[in-house]
Amino acid sequence: MAGLREIQNRIRSIKDTRKITNAMYMISSTKMRKAREALEHTEPYFYTLQAMMDRMMRHFPDVSHIYFEKEEPEEEHRLGLLVITGDKGLAGAYNHNVLKLAQQFLDGRDAVVDLFVVGELGRQYFTGRHIPIEENFQYTAQNPTFGRARWIAEKLLEKYQSGELNEIHVIYTRMENSMLSVAEDKKMLPLRRPVMPQIPLDVRQEEFRIEPSEKALADIIVPNYITGFIYSALVESFCCEHNARMQAMESATNNADELLHDLGIMYNRARQAAITQEITEVCGGARAQKQKSNN
Amino acid sequence: MSTFYLKIISSDRVFYEGPCCSLIIPAIDGEQAIMAHHEEIIIAVKNGEMRMQTEEGGEWTYAVLGEGFCMAANNRVTLLADTVERPEEVDANRAREALERAKERLRQKQSIQEYHLTQAAMARALVRLKETEKFVR
Repeated sequence: MAGLREIQNRIRSIKDTRKITNAMYMISSTKMRKAREALEHTEPYFYTLQAMMDRMMRHFPDVSHIYFEKEEPEEEHRLGLLVITGDKGLAGAYNHNVLKLAQQFLDGRDAVVDLFVVGELGRQYFTGRHIPIEENFQYTAQNPTFGRARWIAEKLLEKYQSGELNEIHVIYTRMENSMLSVAEDKKMLPLRRPVMPQIPLDVRQEEFRIEPSEKALADIIVPNYITGFIYSALVESFCCEHNARMQAMESATNNADELLHDLGIMYNRARQAAITQEITEVCGGARAQKQKSNN
Repeated sequence: MSTFYLKIISSDRVFYEGPCCSLIIPAIDGEQAIMAHHEEIIIAVKNGEMRMQTEEGGEWTYAVLGEGFCMAANNRVTLLADTVERPEEVDANRAREALERAKERLRQKQSIQEYHLTQAAMARALVRLKETEKFVR
């Protein structure tokens, strides 16, 4: 059995670690709540934008614009991939899931892929593997704001418009519910044309007049849509990161509690054993003295 | 006079939701007014000043718009812009600083992309400033 002092040291160090994991748990939960609130505020905007996009595609199926999918896919493929990871570890499998998906994406195609990375861990991962990064957006994973999203969208769209990239994907983590989050690969550009729903002939369809032109409208709506998409991807990833960290820290705290419980029992046993031994020694000594004086 | 249902949405909140009598928005080629039972239309909106009258002969409400679009159908109008602010919410000092920064950046050499961003920032700052100055008097 380990000595009393060693057990005591162990208990003290576990208590210290537990304090840290507990604090991290609290920090993550407040950060996540804040990010969720921000996301909820932007939801009406994003949904209206999405509905608008759908409507436009439905009403003007024959508009050809650089942003929309062409009838026949292009031969030459140059892909852009936006990977959103966290800045720090200690968040369970969060970063690994994203990076695994990104690696699969890279391995699965022979096309040239330009990487755009958000988050310190993603950057480290790719530089560690000598995979060139086209652009990394530093300090963006921590505090997702609309301005940041606009900046990222601008960068991506510029490459897309100049024809350097002809497809843009994003890998981020989506929140399925508060317990489950999934890393996902979404194709952002070109926009997929929706399948034409069969509309009965007797239903009146609105005829929209477009001011000033369809192209000008697409020029405004699509970048906004992409910005909105990137923003919500950033916020969702941020929420997931903190959710994962919360769960990891919670289980760490629980493990620490369990360890402390076991060590407490061990410590008490050791203490008891030491006391018993001392008493036995004292008794044995006293008895020996008694026998000596009796003789 | 009849009214229409108006919903103004910005990227961080729903700015206004309810009946409206007359709405004037900055379109790409000049201002456009929308009244009840407007024909079905989609208008691209640029940075500028918007005003609306919620009831006949009532007061005009002003706001500063960012880029977006406006859609009218079935007597319902949806106006969506990345920013919508009341003039009193606009921080004049911040706008002035942003304008200075943009001007400073324009003087330096920069890529086409940076140039576009700076131009957009400058346009936003200018609209904001114009709006606040109008109401300070």
